Amino acid sequence: MKLCVPGDKLCSSEDCIPGTGVYLRHGYIYSSLAGYVLRKNEGEELPVISVVRETETQLLPDVGAIVTCKVTSINPRFAKVHILYVGSTPLKDRFRGTIRKEDVRATEKDKVETYKSFRPGDIVLAKVISLGDVQSNYLLTTAENELGVVVAHSEAGAQMVPISWCEMQCPLTHSKEFRKVARVQPEYLQA
Amino acid sequence: MAGLELLSDQGYRLDGRKATELRKLQARMGVFTQADGSAYLEQGNTKALAVVYGPHEMRGSRSRTLHDRAVINCQYSMATFSTAERKRRPHGDRKSTEMSLHLKQTFEAAVMTQLYPRSQIDIYVKILQSDGGNYSVCVNAATLAVIDAGIPMRDYVCACTVGFVDETPLADLCYAEESGGVSSLALALLPRGGQIALLQMDARLHQDHLETLIEAAMTACKGVSKVLDEVVRQHLQEASVLTGE
Repeated sequence: MKLCVPGDKLCSSEDCIPGTGVYLRHGYIYSSLAGYVLRKNEGEELPVISVVRETETQLLPDVGAIVTCKVTSINPRFAKVHILYVGSTPLKDRFRGTIRKEDVRATEKDKVETYKSFRPGDIVLAKVISLGDVQSNYLLTTAENELGVVVAHSEAGAQMVPISWCEMQCPLTHSKEFRKVARVQPEYLQA
Repeated sequence: MAGLELLSDQGYRLDGRKATELRKLQARMGVFTQADGSAYLEQGNTKALAVVYGPHEMRGSRSRTLHDRAVINCQYSMATFSTAERKRRPHGDRKSTEMSLHLKQTFEAAVMTQLYPRSQIDIYVKILQSDGGNYSVCVNAATLAVIDAGIPMRDYVCACTVGFVDETPLADLCYAEESGGVSSLALALLPRGGQIALLQMDARLHQDHLETLIEAAMTACKGVSKVLDEVVRQHLQEASVLTGE
């Protein structure tokens, strides 16, 4: 793979079509990034030439994607989270998300108490329902059986074991705490 | 100081260089992991650190957003220990503001800002040790930092400060030469196309000498670009070895 730096003349515009990371000037294609030159053939047309850096472009959470997030703060109306993984790919930056009170579960939406569903520090599996507008964050939902809290720590500090869809138990103190628990498929649970 | 010649009869300068010789240039890219791009550059005894953040959403005054391109925000500052006497006001003084503006103008010419409308690119440069050619060293360090951040640029931006003494242009001035009453000119160049991004001079020079001085500056900048090119390619090689490509 050929290395190139900004300003390198790659080829003439008659040989290739410019892609990303390049610019066209006076009939020639020049590189605008420091990275590798990629030439892709797309059918009978001219190949597309582009320059990519060594790191891949970031995967953005899309509507309908299952994301793994960490709860940062809770409020009677919603919970704020940081999105850490999209599917199984970790994100370089942390995106912010919101889980509204009515999106926590599918039944009895008005009787939800966020304090009994999530706590700060919990790891939650959620699904993206909206990208949000200019100021707001991603809108997420946990209103499915497979979505909800996967890892939570009790007030004593130990990792809790789920006992039902709405309760988890601390192994040290045996006290039960309320959470909206995700039903993880048995094949994903480690022994 | 009496008797200190800026250019001796044999053609040697105060530090033993010839008239067209540049100072030793060493640089490293990617010195900080938190920033999007960073670089450390030394040219002789002048040391500068450049850090780039962006492109990101406009922060601060939303009214300064440009609908078709990115805003480049530069800040130049000098460390309090960078000069012979401890600097009382590292930033906010007139010289720093002027330098910041010049850096902004220089990079607006080279960075392809039209690819990132409504966003902001921040370039912060700090001089750790000042020994002449501050503007040039900042531009060179910032170029490497912008490349490290992966922000598309038309070409490198290389800068050099040149002076005129005894009918001879001196390339890459050091502090003693700058303060020794030499007419100094700072030039920022896009080397491949030979386009001048910024030319700054506030000394007295006879207009007959201007052509020669600009030529000498362009040659010096092309020399700087060769060294910067080496640094970038070296950095890419190292990065590719680490990722296994």
